Amino acid sequence: MIAAKNVSLQYPDGTVALKNINLSVKPGELVYITGPSGSGKTSLLKLLMAMEFPTTGTLEIMGRSYGKGQTGPIRQLRRMLGPVFQDFKLIKGRTALENIMLGMRFLDIPASEMKKNATEALARVGLKKKANTPVENLSWGECQRISIARVLARKPLLILADEPTGNLDRENALNILELLVGCKDEQTAVLITTHATHLIPANQNRIIRLKEGVMEEAEA
Amino acid sequence: MKQLLHNLGYFFHEAGIIIRMNLLSHLTSFFSMALIFLILAMVLAGWWAGNYVIAAIKNEAEISAYYAEDMSRDAVLRLAEELQKIAGVKEVLLVSAEDAYKRMEEMLGKEARVLTYFDDNPFSPILEIKIDLAAMEQVLQSVQQTDGIEYVRDNREVLDRLRQLAGAVRFLGYLIITAVGISTLVIISHLIRTGIENNREQINTLLLLGAPDSFIAFPFLLTGLLLSAGGGILAAVLAGYALRYLFARVGEPLPFLPLPPLGGLVLKLAVFIILLSALLGLAGSLSGLHTAKSRS
Repeated sequence: MIAAKNVSLQYPDGTVALKNINLSVKPGELVYITGPSGSGKTSLLKLLMAMEFPTTGTLEIMGRSYGKGQTGPIRQLRRMLGPVFQDFKLIKGRTALENIMLGMRFLDIPASEMKKNATEALARVGLKKKANTPVENLSWGECQRISIARVLARKPLLILADEPTGNLDRENALNILELLVGCKDEQTAVLITTHATHLIPANQNRIIRLKEGVMEEAEA
Repeated sequence: MKQLLHNLGYFFHEAGIIIRMNLLSHLTSFFSMALIFLILAMVLAGWWAGNYVIAAIKNEAEISAYYAEDMSRDAVLRLAEELQKIAGVKEVLLVSAEDAYKRMEEMLGKEARVLTYFDDNPFSPILEIKIDLAAMEQVLQSVQQTDGIEYVRDNREVLDRLRQLAGAVRFLGYLIITAVGISTLVIISHLIRTGIENNREQINTLLLLGAPDSFIAFPFLLTGLLLSAGGGILAAVLAGYALRYLFARVGEPLPFLPLPPLGGLVLKLAVFIILLSALLGLAGSLSGLHTAKSRS
């Protein structure tokens, strides 16, 4: 699903965000990427979302590599992804249900199934009652849940969650992590970046540590 | 296409949100466009009605020949027979002064009372000659040279003046169509660009979720189309009322003026203005989307 070989990323201002990253993720895997702020976690997710492209090395996502300007293939890739953003990226002025459905409107999901998927996803994150609430009236934690529900409804092959527990209290953060872990199945891999290592449940199968753009350790 | 139909409700909803986000600016633009389309509609109506009047007068290709009033009826009938023989003459009718008076009474309708101000019948008897328009010059010469004819009146001068007037209105029409086209394109294009700037965050989110350009662009395209076509529809309705009023004002005092049927004219005008406004709205939206994309 993800195959990175000696991938480095340098931004135009000269900042080196990632150095010689080697990473392989298979379908059904759950991977935590940890490290302090500025260690390159978000940069790695940006590479995986084709928002940035490797300066050196090769990166294959879902069996192919992507380059700048390949608008069509990049959009196709993104339709298979389930991104959970730090700032949620929910559309203001729209309800929770509308936001979830918006993530599906351009996928090959029949119109009749869209609402069903969205309602089920809302129920799964425990916010069925908030379906018709505009997102600006929801709390931080509820917004994070809605952004996860948007991912769940899309039924993606790869979930990429960028600091999903940031700014949440311990209880809410654990709930969010539990939700994301629950998204993993035989087909779907989940990558979660977090600096809050103390929240990672024990006996997780993969934790990758990044420090100053270098992959320090990878444990199976 | 299937996706477009499934999302039609969503696209209209989004277009509504885009309009509401900058309501005052959109409303001002809507009424401005309605006003310029109304001006265009009125000029077009004048152009088309002018053409209709010219065509009607052309079809009534006839000349009036005046003869000495002291001629006997037999002599006048012989004169009519002689005129009938001229090549290009279709029919010669003897119109007495009384017949001419009656005709004018019918034409003037309610206004016929003006005729009562004359002590005597002001009309002269004439020979009304219906002719083939192509042979107008030859027929005129032959009629003028016929013994017993004192004076010949034709409608060439009226036709020439109408043609000049119609030409001026047509020129004004082209000028206004160009002005309307440019201003609508600029207004819509600017509105769409502003709309895109105001929704940049939402567009970026959609891009990250993998939405195709067409999906992102369609609500903006629809916004431009709705505003412009809406302006066109309002202009067509107002033009309909204005024309009904004008026809009543012109038609009553000038009943002999061959005006086109009001219903047909309004329908033709409405279809043209609405289609043109929709087309310009679409073109303006595409231009706005194109410039917004190239800027980003």
